[in-house]
Amino acid sequence: MSSAIRTEHLSKIYPGSASRTPALADLTLDVPAGRVFGVIGRNGAGKTTFVRIAATQLELTSGRAEVLGYDVMTQARDVRVRIACVPQESRPLYFLNVEEVVYLYLKLRGLDHAEARRRTTEALDELSLTEYRRRPVQRLSGGLRRRTLCAMVLASDADVLFLDEPTTGLDPIARRQVWDAIRRATKEQRTILLTTHYLDEAEALSARLALFERGRLALSGTPEDLRARVRYPFRVTIQGAYSAEELTSYGRLTPIEGGALVFAREPEARELARRALERGQRVSMGPVTLEDIFLEVVGRAIDEETPPAEAEA
Amino acid sequence: MSERNRLRSIGTLVRINGIVPIRTQPFYLVSIIAQPLSFLFFIWIVSRGADLAYGLMGGMVLTMLSVGTGLQSDLTHYRHDMKFQDVVIASPVEAPIYIAGMALSELVYSLPALAVFVALFVYYGYATVSSVAILTGVLLLVWSFGSAFAFTLSTYFQDIRETWAFSPIFSLVLTVLPPVYYPISYLPAWAQIAARFSPTTYAAELVQGAVGLQPLTPTTAEIDWIVLVAFAAALFLIAAFKARWRDP
Repeated sequence: MSSAIRTEHLSKIYPGSASRTPALADLTLDVPAGRVFGVIGRNGAGKTTFVRIAATQLELTSGRAEVLGYDVMTQARDVRVRIACVPQESRPLYFLNVEEVVYLYLKLRGLDHAEARRRTTEALDELSLTEYRRRPVQRLSGGLRRRTLCAMVLASDADVLFLDEPTTGLDPIARRQVWDAIRRATKEQRTILLTTHYLDEAEALSARLALFERGRLALSGTPEDLRARVRYPFRVTIQGAYSAEELTSYGRLTPIEGGALVFAREPEARELARRALERGQRVSMGPVTLEDIFLEVVGRAIDEETPPAEAEA
Repeated sequence: MSERNRLRSIGTLVRINGIVPIRTQPFYLVSIIAQPLSFLFFIWIVSRGADLAYGLMGGMVLTMLSVGTGLQSDLTHYRHDMKFQDVVIASPVEAPIYIAGMALSELVYSLPALAVFVALFVYYGYATVSSVAILTGVLLLVWSFGSAFAFTLSTYFQDIRETWAFSPIFSLVLTVLPPVYYPISYLPAWAQIAARFSPTTYAAELVQGAVGLQPLTPTTAEIDWIVLVAFAAALFLIAAFKARWRDP
């Protein structure tokens, strides 16, 4: 499968950074074309820096980055005609209405009236924005504004879409609508680079994932690859009283309210589940979630704040 | 991007930043005309009508300069608060197209102000073929170098509040202290030398000469044009090489 985005030893140190701490350090990554590639990590992990370099919005310090075979520094013009981006914390221009945001963006990219109108109608429909099409952006909720921005880039003719935390602030239904639109976009063989704080979102959408921590690539691969790389790929949840000593013999024990969570290898997980059932305890078993993998690799939850000294990047 | 698409992009930016906001909030038009008309009114009252022509010429130069430099606030706002510039960067729209479209969109705001000034210009009998040609050339140059300057600055500002600090300074240095609203001869000798560092001095000298307010020899006019064009070229070069389209 060909690469949509490729980086080699990519590093970024922001000018004026007192500690010279790299926001990205020695990042070598391959994003395959035609799929959703999820980038996860805590605040300050380097996700947005990576997106901004690849989307030609930010200069790199060393190494190289290519989009669809074009160097982001020396062939930026070739890159730009093939990409579209929803930046982190971006807002649609408040005096436009929803339809104008999408339509005028497409016109700005050079599409003719008929094509821009057709794509606008489709995108608004896909993201259930048709009923709001005449509503000024300033009268929309935060979630509808993010959805409008998603409609804008999904309606574009770009081959590679950068979505930097596109569903932040959306309610669960709206998130699902964006997910559906993203899935449809990949059916058109477009590549989507998605950064997100929502691990369920990354898992639901991404064919491949990269986990960033402190500017470095901690892990990358398909969700199955990631599971295979952790020590305990299965999780068993037991409700009720238990012997900690016994459960520890199966794997890693994490006490939870009203029971225990045990991370184990498959044979031990099956054995533990069987025993718990025999004792009449409520038990559930399944592969580890992305959140479990994140905790094991990073040692902290994704929503745990980075200490100030580390967050400079 | 083809030439046709570039024009389409420019037209779209004019619509985005010029036509739609005016439709939403027509008072933008009033705010642009307020300052130059205030000066004109003040000069008319104080001089009992005698220096009205200076107010008229100065008002047109100030309007075009305000339109140009006023771009810095919009661009800074769009860049930092809306991330619109990042959206544009990651698209086929090149930096010169963005500047051209945004600068033209600002021009839309100035049209009513210019219409008032042009009406007065014609009414008071200053409109001749040569004066209109000179005025048009000068005003276009003032607008274009003001826009290039504004774009460059906007890429360095980190917050729109910084533009609020700079705007009155630009207004003072470029339109109040230089002899835009009065003849340069009113200034003391040292101030006349200082005024020569402002491009608007040359612009004012040309428009004041074009309507016969000040005697202007062909040599002086030639020098004024050269300086004005050189200023514009220098500011365009600075914009091309020093403006930060992509963040460092």
